[in-house]
This record gives sequence, C-alpha cells and structure tokens, in this order.
Amino acid sequence: MKESKLGDFEETILLLVGILGEDAYAYKLADEFEAQTQRSVSIGAVHSTLNRIEDKGFLTSDMGEASTERGGRRKRIYKITAEGQQALQKSRDLKLSLWRQFPAFAQGKLNFVLG
Amino acid sequence: MKNVEPPKLAEKLLLLFLRRDLAEEVLGDLDEQFYATISKHSTRKARLNYWYQVIHYLRPFAIKYFQSNSRFNTMIKHNFLIGFRLILKNKMQSSINVGGLALGMVTAILISLWVYDEITYNQYHATHDRVVQVLRKDVNGDQVQVNSSQVSKLGVYLAQNYADLFEEVSTTFYRNGKQFLQVGDRSLERLGYFFSVNSANVLALDFVAGDKMDSTNLYSILLSEQLAETLFPNENPIGQAVLFNGQADLMVRGVYADLPKNSTFHEMEFIVPMELVYNEDNPATWDNQNTKIYGLLHPGVKVEEAERAISNALSANMPNNTRKTSLLLHPMDKWHLNSNFRDGTLVTSERLQYVRIYSTIGAFVLLLAFINFVNLNTARYHNRVREIGVRKAMGSYKTQLIGQFLAESLLYSTSAYVIALLVGGLTIGAFNELSGKGIVIPWGEPAFWLVGICFVLLSAVLSGAYPAFYLSSFDPVKALKGTIRQGAASGRFRQALVTFQFTISIALIMGMITIYKQLEHAKARPVGYNQSDLITARGRSDTYREKFNVLRNELLRTGAVVEVATANYPLTNDLGNNSGFKLRSNNEEFNTTFNTIFVTPEYGQATGFELVKGRDFRRESEGELQNVIISESAVSAMGLENPIGQVIVSPMEVYNRTANYTIIGVVKDMVKHSPYDVAKPLMLFPTYYPTEHIFMRLSPAMDYQQSLTRIEEVYAQILPEMPFNYEFVDDAYSLKFTAEERIGSVASLFTLVAVLISCLGLFGLSAFFVEQRNKEIGVRKVLGASIISLWNLLSLRFSLLILLACVVAMPLAAFVLTEWLNGYTYRISLDWSIYLMAGLGSLVVTLLTVSYHSLRATRANPVDSLRAE
Repeated sequence: MKESKLGDFEETILLLVGILGEDAYAYKLADEFEAQTQRSVSIGAVHSTLNRIEDKGFLTSDMGEASTERGGRRKRIYKITAEGQQALQKSRDLKLSLWRQFPAFAQGKLNFVLG
Repeated sequence: MKNVEPPKLAEKLLLLFLRRDLAEEVLGDLDEQFYATISKHSTRKARLNYWYQVIHYLRPFAIKYFQSNSRFNTMIKHNFLIGFRLILKNKMQSSINVGGLALGMVTAILISLWVYDEITYNQYHATHDRVVQVLRKDVNGDQVQVNSSQVSKLGVYLAQNYADLFEEVSTTFYRNGKQFLQVGDRSLERLGYFFSVNSANVLALDFVAGDKMDSTNLYSILLSEQLAETLFPNENPIGQAVLFNGQADLMVRGVYADLPKNSTFHEMEFIVPMELVYNEDNPATWDNQNTKIYGLLHPGVKVEEAERAISNALSANMPNNTRKTSLLLHPMDKWHLNSNFRDGTLVTSERLQYVRIYSTIGAFVLLLAFINFVNLNTARYHNRVREIGVRKAMGSYKTQLIGQFLAESLLYSTSAYVIALLVGGLTIGAFNELSGKGIVIPWGEPAFWLVGICFVLLSAVLSGAYPAFYLSSFDPVKALKGTIRQGAASGRFRQALVTFQFTISIALIMGMITIYKQLEHAKARPVGYNQSDLITARGRSDTYREKFNVLRNELLRTGAVVEVATANYPLTNDLGNNSGFKLRSNNEEFNTTFNTIFVTPEYGQATGFELVKGRDFRRESEGELQNVIISESAVSAMGLENPIGQVIVSPMEVYNRTANYTIIGVVKDMVKHSPYDVAKPLMLFPTYYPTEHIFMRLSPAMDYQQSLTRIEEVYAQILPEMPFNYEFVDDAYSLKFTAEERIGSVASLFTLVAVLISCLGLFGLSAFFVEQRNKEIGVRKVLGASIISLWNLLSLRFSLLILLACVVAMPLAAFVLTEWLNGYTYRISLDWSIYLMAGLGSLVVTLLTVSYHSLRATRANPVDSLRAE
C-alpha cells in the first residue's frame, strides 16, 4: 500500500504550497518556511520533502517559466491535489477534535491563539 | 555585483551526483537563492551558503542512479571484494597495516583538533575581530618594553575622547584576585573580575538568564552559569543578593554561559562593576598603573588606524614622564598565538612555536604510518605476482590494476579511520587532561566529516600510490613464469624508508629526553627559601589588619605554627618592581629595576630564606624600618664589594620614613618568577603593618592535618568572617612547571606512538625478511650453524640501519633542541648521555622487535622449512 500519512514537516510544506500558490517552488518554499518559522532549512531538504509528498499523490508539479535571476532556467511549480486538500482537512479536523477534548482548553483557561 | 557568479566548483560537484532531470530546477533555485543572499549579506556568505545548499542535496531522491548495468561499477565492486578477501586472508599483515595507519590517524586527529583549538582561541567571543587591548610601549634609553598595565584614568580618557574609534572601552584590574562570595551560610572564594559595566558588550557574553549591568545600579554582579549553579542550586539567581568580601551586598543581574577553555577570560567566574572602585567619589588617576584596558572598535575601523590615532594619548597627559611612552593596540585574534613583544614589536611567541612543533610531530607520525603501508605492501609483492600475471594475461589494463590496488588501500584507510575515530572518541578525555584543554570532538559538524572524508581519500592515495604503480608494472610473462625477483633497488628503497622512520623516531626520542631533563633540572633548582611545611593564605579586610597580631600570637600558641609573617606580594611571582635607586655615596642611579617587597620582620623565619651575610630583621624599634635586606643578585647589580652597612637612597615615598635604607643582610636569590630565568634582584623592606599575603611555617613535629585543623580553629575564633583558605607554597610553585610538563607529556606520548608505528613496520618487515630466507636458514642449520650466529645474521642488517638513522637524526635533533634550549636562561646542555640513551634505546627496541621473528625461525626445525614445496 502506498504511504498516505502526513508528517509534521510535510504538513507545513503542504500548507506553504497552498499559501504561495503560483510561487510554490523549492527555493520560495524554503524561504517562506524560514520566514514563518524562524527555523533554517536547506533547499535540498524542502525539495526532498516535496518529492516525497508528490509520491504520495498530494501534490502535482509542472515546469513553470524561466527568469533572469535563475540564469534563464525554468522552475518546478507545485500544486495541491484534491487528495492533498483532503489530507490537510483530515489532519486539521483531528487536531481540532483533540483540542476540544483538552479540558483546560475547553474551559477557556488556556490563552492560546489558534493558528 | 552583476559580475559575481555562484562558485563553479560547487556547481560541478552538484552536477556530478544530481539526477539529470532535476538539474534545471535545482540550479535555478540555487542561483535565485545565491543572488538573494548577495543582496542581503556578503558575497562570501552567499558562496558559503551555495556550498551548504549543494551538500544538502546529497539526498537519496536527488542522487543519480549509479547502479546501472555499467561494467565500470561491477569492476569497482569487484575491486573492493578482492581487497576485502585479502584483508581477511593475511590477518597478521592486515592488522599491522590497519593498526599502524589507525595509530597515525588518531595522532593526526588529536593534533589537528588541538591545533584547531589553539588557532580558534578567543573566537568564542563574537566580537573577537574588533576587540583590542591597549598596551603601553616604554622607551627607556635603548630599552624598549611593552606592558599591559595602564593608569586607571586612561580607560575613561579613551572612552571620552575617541568615541569615533571605540564603540566601548572597558577597564579591569591588572591583577584580578580571588574574592569571597557569600550567600546565606555558603561562602566561596572565587576568581572574578572587576570590569566596567559595558564589559559584557566587549566580550559578547551570552546571557542565559537576566541581562547585562548598567551604570544606574552599580551594586550588581554577573555570574557564570557554573558559579550561579554552585551559589544558587535549584533557585533562580536573578535578583538575589551576594555578600561580596563581607563588605557589600551585590544583586545578581545576569548569568552568562560559561566561557570555553580557549578564551583568555576562561578563569573569570563572575564580574563586578569596575565603577564600584573608580567613581566620582574615588576618581581614576594618571599615576597608578593598575588596570588593563580593552576596547571594542567600531565596525570597519582598522586596528592600525586606531593605533595611530591614540598613540600619543598617554604621553600627552603625562608631561612629567621622562620615558618615551606610546600606546599600541593588540587585536584579540593575536592575544594567544602572537603575544610576545621584543623591542616593541611582535615576534613569534612560544605558543605559536608549540603549534608548529605539534603540527610537525603530527605530520611526521602520519608519514611514518604511510611509510609502513608502502613498505609492507611492496615487500609482500610475491603474494601478488601470479595474480597480477593472470590479470594481465586476461587483458587487464594497467589502469585497472592500479584501480584495484587503490581500492584496497582505500579499504585499509577507511577501516583505519573508523578505528581511529573510535579510539579518538575514547581517549579525548585523557588527552584533554594531558594537554590541559577542553576539546570536544565535533561529531555533529558536517565540516568535520568532510575533512575526514578528504583525509581518508588523501591517505589512500598517498599510501597506495607507490604500491599500486609498482605492482601493476610487472611484466606478465615473467610474473607467470615466477621469475620476477625483487631488484636490489626496491630493497634499498625499503631500507631507506625504514632508516627514515627511525631517523624521525630517534630525533623524537632525543627531544623527549631533553625536555624531560630540562624540566628536572629546573625543578631541582634551589629556590633560595624553604618550601616544605610552608603555607600561604591571604587577608584583606580591615579586621584582619587590626587583629593580625592577635592572630599571630594565637597561632604560635597552638604549637601548630612555628612562625607567621606577611608580605605585600606572594613568593611565586615577581610583581612589585621599582627603579631609580642609588647609593648615598654615589649620586648615579642604578639602571636595574628591583623587586621591592615589604615584609614583616619575621619573614625570614617564616619563609626560611638563606642569609649569606649580615643579620635578619628584628622586631625592635622604629629604627629597624630604615634597614633593608637585599639578594645576592642585587649586590652584584649594584656592584658592591662590602654591601653590609652601605646606604641606599630609595625613590619610593613611604609614610613616616626617610629615603635612606641601610643594608643589614644579604640573602641567596629567591626564585619567584620563572624557574628558567635569572632571578630578579630583590630588596626586602621591613614593615610592622600586616599586608595581604600571609606565610605560615608549620611545625614539623605535628602532622599537617592536625596543624591545619588547629589553625582553622584559631581563625574561627579570631576572624570568624574570614574563611581559612590556604595553599602550600610548593604546590603553588610547581604550577610554574605545568606548561613544560604538558608539552613534555604530550610530546612523549606522540614520540611513543611514533616509535610504536616504526616498530610495527619493522615487525612486519622482519617477518617477511625471515620468511624469504627460510630455506637458507634451514640449510645453515643443517650444516651446523648456531642460533646465535643465525640471529646475528638476521638482525645485523637492521642494526646497521639504526646506526645510519642515528647518524642522520642526531645532528638534526641537536640543532633544533639547541634552539629550543636557548629560549631558557637556566638550562641544561645537550650532553653525550642524551645521544647515548636515544641511540641505545632505539637499538634495543629494534633488536627486540626483529628478534621475535628471527628467533622463531632459527629455533624451528629445519626439516619443516626444507621439506615444504
């Protein structure tokens, strides 16, 4: 059977693909990841993860247009598939349901901001 | 900026392993990142980052599929397989090979880490490239001296007038001693610095908790993490009070991460504001050189530039100074390895010399290991001759054979490296102990592994190249016929290599013996006073000074102590110097600087100094205070025939005294500073006023433990707030030998390794040598040769090699060692016993090594060797 679970890092990357839309390619994703999480990551690591998610069928990719700062090379743009959307939805639902069962949270004693 | 391009080499590396279909997008991404980094940071950073990104593409998904059906890969695999089988086949030879290489590699790894630790000294401080120490260059006649002690006002002055150069100027005391810290009933004596409040910025301290100090509340203290842990276990130290020297409560403002051992300030355990000492009530002055000054330059300010600007800042403010004084700036990056000034300019310092010596030893040890590898592999040629013949007959190219042999040596060096890493990991603790370092093997650093891989490849090529080319050049026809005999040339080559190995070993042995002898020589040097049973303690508070006499009487009454005296400086350094003395009978000042110490009259009794002429001080009248005792070297510095009764005129102004002092006694020179230097001329002035350093001579009749307990009781009774912290003077004195002892033990260790590696090689070689002559030995035995004569036959050649090695090694070593010894004033000379010991030692070791195989062969039944085949 094909692996279909989403790891934590994978989930973040998948979300970032959604956020960046037409700009979702490895370098921009790594850049955005660093900006959003303040954790450094290499492009290689992001690329490898993208590759893995694509294998699971949550992403598709196509070569986009070229630009000068890339030395005239094209980039690979990633898009979330319907299955990817579903997987994200599932993961969010699960977490929300867990949060709701967390007593301290249910009573409104914790002051977390939901992201 | 437009012209900058990503590093070509990294790009090539990437393309080497990257899947072809990914090349376009990946290269594009990396380029984009590269130009983005340039626009934000420096080009250098962008290049580094590019490399970082390339290395991080070494991931399974991105790597080309090498396992194609290419015959090339099959062959490489085959090469390793054969190599692996060979290792297993000749277990003895392989373990000698791998063991020797591993030993060499461990040595190389440890030494490289040591050297790395040395050259990155102080780089922990993020500001290291901008921090400078302000030094003072005094020109006095033709004497040029560079000192780090500065008048306290200078720091303030530089901060105020050169704010365009210095971001911060921080002052600390020239000597920072141990201070008493008290929290609740916990009392500790720890070394801390009085340091300007901005010192945390200068040193770029990393705060674990709390924050740096500011000038609004000076009653604060910064603690190192370790000290905070000790003072406040399981508590939050921030905001707590620490009683400082029993005088003031200081509030803990911040806790900073412990400084690593390779920081100049690693001994500092806490910081209290210098402004507590010098402030508006007690302003800094232009006349007391009791501080050190550190500056943090603004980014972009060049050291030379700043140095030129401030050069005259001191002399402009001290017009009365007769000496020509200018200021120098010494950048932090040079403090550790480049800190020796001779005649006012930087010269190679000892530290840097040690770095060079160690690196040389490391390189040599590694070279010895490589030589072993070469020797053993070429000597074993006959095992491979037929194999090579068959391979060549089957159409193998020479390059393929070379590949085969290089693959084998890669296998050897990789396994040796793995062993070396294991051994290194296990022994790093002991090595730290030995070398006084705090080195951690950087397992998590990619750079460490990268260097390691390069190192393995390099050693595979270095050690495998000669055997590979030599063995692959055999003529296949001769090889198959079995008529290849090893030529005399290759035999000579091996002998030359063995001789070279032993040349190095013998030179190292000589070095080791010399260092050891020099150390023993200095340790045995008479110090001019009696160190045994002598302890020293310190007292500083007003209560101590008031109650000193009571303390002394009580201590004497216990019977634990024979005598108690004080001095304003310890016995183990030569601080406290003055010049400008003259004789009353002669108006000319002496050129010499004298070590001037104020002591209570019982100092002689307590320390047991050796009076040569005249008398000791007596606790009698005020008149005694106009007397002085000087040392023998002071007598000769003054050129006195009859010193007793002469009157010295002193430039020092001492309360209630005149400038004239009569010499009443002469003592033997006291070795206080370096046991390798000439003793400084000494003047002892009597005083009834108790000073900081207390010396107590313990009663020889009582055992130490008992005496110390009694002293502690007296302390508790008379000075309850002052803990009795003592030190044996001989212990303190022996610390002077630590540096040389470290060098000595580390050098001995590596010498031992070098000898061991050489012996391993010799061992393997002699096995081969004996094996080759097995039949000859059998025939000789049958014809009646005795074991002794056979042993002689087999060992003689090696003994000759050793003798040759001696001839080469000794003059070389003698040259280097004489240079080294010249660095010491009090030194041994290289005598024949050193040469003899090194020569005989290596001869004995060689014969023992060689004898194992030769004796086994000579004692074997000749029938066995003759019947074979």
